[in-house]
Amino acid sequence: MSILDRLRGGRTAHDVDPLLVELQAALTPERVKMDSAQRSLLGKDASMFEGGVSGPICYPTSTDEVVAIAKIAERHGRAIVPRGAGTGLAGGAIPLGAPVVVAMTKMNAILEIDEENGIAWVEPGVINLDLTRHLTPRGFHYAPDPSSQQVCTIGGNVANNSGGPHCLAYGVTNPHIAALEVVTATGEVLLLGGLDAEPDGYDLRGVFVGSEGTLGITTKIAVRLTKNRPGVRTLLLSFATIRDAANTVSAVIAAGIVPAAMEVMDQKITRAVEHYVHAGYPIDAGAVLLAEVDGAEAGVDIDADRIRELGIANNATEVRLAADETERALLWKGRKTAFGAIAQIAPDYYLHDTVVPRSKLADVLDQIYEIADRHDVLVMNVLHAGDGNLHPLLIFDGREDGVMERIQAAGEEIITASLAAGGVLSGEHGIGVEKQPFMDQLFTSDDLDHQNRLRRAFDPTCRANPGKVLPMGHSCADIQQLRSVPTGVWG
Amino acid sequence: MDLHLDADDLNACVQCGLCLPHCPTFRVTGDEAMSPRGRIHLMREVQDHDAPLTDEVMESFETCVQCRGCEPACPSGVPYGHLMEQTRETLADAGALTPLWQRLAFKPLASPTLLQTGSSALAIAQRLHLVPKRLGISTELPIRRRPLEASGTDVYFFTGCVMDAWQRDVHRSGIRVVEAAGFGVTPTNELAPCCGALQAHAGLAEDTRSLAKKMMANLEPGRPILVDSAGCGAAMKDYGHLLGTPEALAFSERVFDIQEWLAGHMDRLPVAEPLDLRVAIQDPCHLRHVQRVHDATRTVLRPYVRELVELDDEGLCCGAGGAYSVLQPDLAGQIRDRKVASIERSTPDIVASANPGCSMHLAGAGVPTVHPMELVDRALGRADTAP
Amino acid sequence: MTATLLSTDPVLAAFAEEVGESGPIAIVGGRTRWENGGALVDGTRTIAAPSGIVEYIAEEMIVKVRAGTSVAELHASLAERGQVTALPERGGTVGGAVAVGQNGVLRPMRGETRSAVLQVRYVSAEGKIVTGGGPTVKNVSGFDIPRLMTGSLGTLGCIAEVILRTNPMPAQTRWFASNDADPFAVHRSLLAPGPILFDGSTTTVMVFGHAPAVTEDVMMLRTLGTFTECEPPPDATGHRWSLSPRDLQTLDVAAVGAFVAEIGVGIVHASNPQPPTPLAPDVRVIHDRMKAEFDPPGRLNPGRVVGLR
Ligand SMILES: Cc1cc2nc3c(=O)[nH]c(=O)nc-3n(C[C@H](O)[C@H](O)[C@H](O)COP(=O)(O)OP(=O)(O)OC[C@H]3O[C@@H](n4cnc5c(N)ncnc54)[C@H](O)[C@@H]3O)c2cc1C
Ligand code: SF4
Ligand code: SF4
Repeated sequence: MSILDRLRGGRTAHDVDPLLVELQAALTPERVKMDSAQRSLLGKDASMFEGGVSGPICYPTSTDEVVAIAKIAERHGRAIVPRGAGTGLAGGAIPLGAPVVVAMTKMNAILEIDEENGIAWVEPGVINLDLTRHLTPRGFHYAPDPSSQQVCTIGGNVANNSGGPHCLAYGVTNPHIAALEVVTATGEVLLLGGLDAEPDGYDLRGVFVGSEGTLGITTKIAVRLTKNRPGVRTLLLSFATIRDAANTVSAVIAAGIVPAAMEVMDQKITRAVEHYVHAGYPIDAGAVLLAEVDGAEAGVDIDADRIRELGIANNATEVRLAADETERALLWKGRKTAFGAIAQIAPDYYLHDTVVPRSKLADVLDQIYEIADRHDVLVMNVLHAGDGNLHPLLIFDGREDGVMERIQAAGEEIITASLAAGGVLSGEHGIGVEKQPFMDQLFTSDDLDHQNRLRRAFDPTCRANPGKVLPMGHSCADIQQLRSVPTGVWG
Repeated sequence: MDLHLDADDLNACVQCGLCLPHCPTFRVTGDEAMSPRGRIHLMREVQDHDAPLTDEVMESFETCVQCRGCEPACPSGVPYGHLMEQTRETLADAGALTPLWQRLAFKPLASPTLLQTGSSALAIAQRLHLVPKRLGISTELPIRRRPLEASGTDVYFFTGCVMDAWQRDVHRSGIRVVEAAGFGVTPTNELAPCCGALQAHAGLAEDTRSLAKKMMANLEPGRPILVDSAGCGAAMKDYGHLLGTPEALAFSERVFDIQEWLAGHMDRLPVAEPLDLRVAIQDPCHLRHVQRVHDATRTVLRPYVRELVELDDEGLCCGAGGAYSVLQPDLAGQIRDRKVASIERSTPDIVASANPGCSMHLAGAGVPTVHPMELVDRALGRADTAP
Repeated sequence: MTATLLSTDPVLAAFAEEVGESGPIAIVGGRTRWENGGALVDGTRTIAAPSGIVEYIAEEMIVKVRAGTSVAELHASLAERGQVTALPERGGTVGGAVAVGQNGVLRPMRGETRSAVLQVRYVSAEGKIVTGGGPTVKNVSGFDIPRLMTGSLGTLGCIAEVILRTNPMPAQTRWFASNDADPFAVHRSLLAPGPILFDGSTTTVMVFGHAPAVTEDVMMLRTLGTFTECEPPPDATGHRWSLSPRDLQTLDVAAVGAFVAEIGVGIVHASNPQPPTPLAPDVRVIHDRMKAEFDPPGRLNPGRVVGLR
């Protein structure tokens, strides 16, 4: 063997795997991958979870190909796991048990913009921000704007029912989806929902949104178009305490205002951000509230003024209204570079996601600080405060001994504290594999049993993204079993 | 295998994926192995987990354009460019990358005379339609060249290798514009034959280091060095990191992209009637993502043309990437198709690009491309070449 | 650890008791849409769902209400805090409105019924209390049982209690009518119009929001036709057609008869019924499986079939 061959690990041709052969025949050889590099890459997403093992990876370009993949996988008794951009934070796209991974990135066409019906048909691999950019010249946008919108796919958004800062007034993904073309694990093509006002039957489109790839793969999506708002006002309110900021948020909602966005950042993250991008955030403030109202130019000042008054009534130390687009962009820049700012502090972060009633925000935050202290981990908080969505960021260096255990323990306590305050497990990232073990803290065994029934109606053979969402004992396949890999897949 | 990557740099990536859409190879393939996140993951697998260097791993590394579009997109500040250069250096040293023919091909770059002869030969061959299309060299190469002469000692003007040979007229425009601002210019000619950028990209960093040392020894200290090729400028600004000496750092400090320099001296440039052109700006990656001074192009061009338009692809690479368009013609072509589509949507009369590689690559697709300096020069009324 | 969504409400426990574990059963609400989905099998026991507002937290924009409460009563309570829900006010109960899942004509302003249900508690075919969704406005914890139940006509579970999202009522709502305006142009031209109703000659439109924004909309309306301010129109009656917004542009007037169309939405209230359109066979299969999963003995609302229009 030459030096080169040895360096390259003495490659041998893949043992001929009939599954692979069939998949390659159905697609093209280049679009079905089975090499170790690909499989190790697609064994992960943006979450912390290791241990995913992928089987063959397919890059379909049409619904027919997705159908073919589903049928071939079925014949070989293998599961299918859809994947978008792999930015999920709950491990939804992590393959368990060497399934066929179906990467949707090549199905990325914007098929039709139908202004009269107020929708656009897109393929699932279209990137969220690309869609909005495409719509903007026509006076529309796609409303849900996850912080990852520059990269995440509409298919992934649908699967995770994703939200974003501007989902307070406009709602998360679900209400923005009119219809879906879906391929089930057995290869049936379903059209769910429709462009008519009240499609007949059970709301299967509504059920599919947020199902994390466990009901099938969506291959075509009709998203609703939202008209661009001519009037926007952005305010930055500073407070001495995070409690004052949280009280302001509640007061605004109680006053009948539903701003487009209400984001709160605590002192630590405000300082980190200001240090990083100099957005003009007050570093001595205990918390800042970024509020944005939009709508007709003629009405926005009324809401903006009211928010200012409510802020002052709740002890705001400073209220700044962005004078122009440049200043507005600067105020948002602070919020949007939160991840960059923390990277200056330590290389790793664990972004949590729970929801609590708005009125409990301040109490739960106090608990979170206490929990983090006790476990000796650094925590910073950015929150979609308008809808009570907490995003505690645990910041650490994964190479430090024992740190993962502390992060894990602190995370668990944060979840438990959120549930105890009357909250839920996830506001936008989903359950995936991350929060599975906590599902029975929220739901009874009967509740979970019924969720499983819903799932089975779509996927009786349990081959669509198995081992996700429902905890062991309730899901059709149990994770331990999925950890083992069918023979012959190591190639 | 130890790729000799800095553990902190490698560890800085949190696998968030925000860089994916800013990567030209991921954009055209949708394949994670062709993405920054994927490449970093594979570097980790190889360095930390001793993963074998399979064909696919090598392909992942080799298909990187090194445009560094992923760097500004990364919130964690991963120094991707350095990681990839180091990876390539280690692999080239181990004989796994950059075969001999490629190494030999880089040799003449460091020698102006060899290159001139070669280029002239190439130019003639091109006229005779002997150059294979695959080489992607489609701007007509000039056959005879007039020498560049010094007009003073205020600033150096870096003439370099490939660009000097192939686009000396661009240099002439640039020099005239700088002179119009009242500076005396010394062209570097044989004092600084080559910046070493292409060598560094190919993993031949040792060659780059020796070129850098030679240049630093030959150029008098203190004087600003203006560069009209974004790729060369980026490489020279990186000497500080490459050599790690205080002298190298000081040298890098006085390297300026010509537009960056002029943007700081706009008050000295004469007023002129704007050219009646709608100009689309194509930012070379090494200007936008590496030097991050692409705003200067706008500052300098704005007074001299009727209209500037931005492309709608957020500075995605055009696929030229130094020798990339020759080494990876398929991907480079697909990447260029995307760029051309974006250019078409912006409906310009002409495209301005401050890098010779990009100009030639785009011209290869029939897109009329000039250096911004040529436009300014023309507006200043002294141009001897029409775009 | 006990699940935090566990119901401990004795009223619900009693209701579960009443539903029992066997025998055909149906819940009656206000009987306003009793015929939807087909006739009930004879001999089916009918009971009413419990009623009453359990908890209303205006600052959280949520209300927890038992299914037997009338929508009118609910909305009267919410109005005290200037709020309202998306459920249509047609004389029925909250549970009925959710089970039927239709929207009122105010949908463009108030949102859709299917997006208003945050949490649902129902008694299953086995007589157990089951909870789906959660009490917060934002939630992606688990499968979307609330959306499954919305519009299920009580065929999957006996809805006992829901948590609904509430919305603030706008500062102003004003109605205008015109006989010479193009209703589609009205829909295109206004930024966020309320309902736009069209009966073939008259366009009736609601504008809402802060006074200056409403004034702006009114000015826009005046450029589109001779609009005069009017009273809110009476409830649209007749058969309900579900079409796409675009279909309305080519509405077959002969087929629908006398009509009122909701422009931009696609609902038509017509004197003639919409011809039935069966579900696609593959979708039907999922429906049947869903029914079989949730109601193995087929005791919930026997005779009613969802997706049969
Ligand atoms: C820095 C950062 C910021 C983020 N900010 C937000 C935020 O503000 N709000 C938010 O909601 N999320 C956020 N996320 C999480 C993530 O971006 C979203 O969940 C996103 O919707 C995932 O999209 P994706 O294309 O990356 O999907 P993937 O991660 O690839 O997949 C996610 C899930 O969708 C399934 N799936 C993908 N495509 C399909 C399909 N075609 N059919 C069926 N199932 C499919 C997968 O199986 C998986 O279960 C953030 C993530 C990061 C890294
Ligand atoms: S340098 Fe360019 S081609 Fe290489 S990974 Fe980064 S963005 Fe992609
Ligand atoms: S390089 Fe940066 S942007 Fe890309 S995945 Fe890593 S941390 Fe994220």
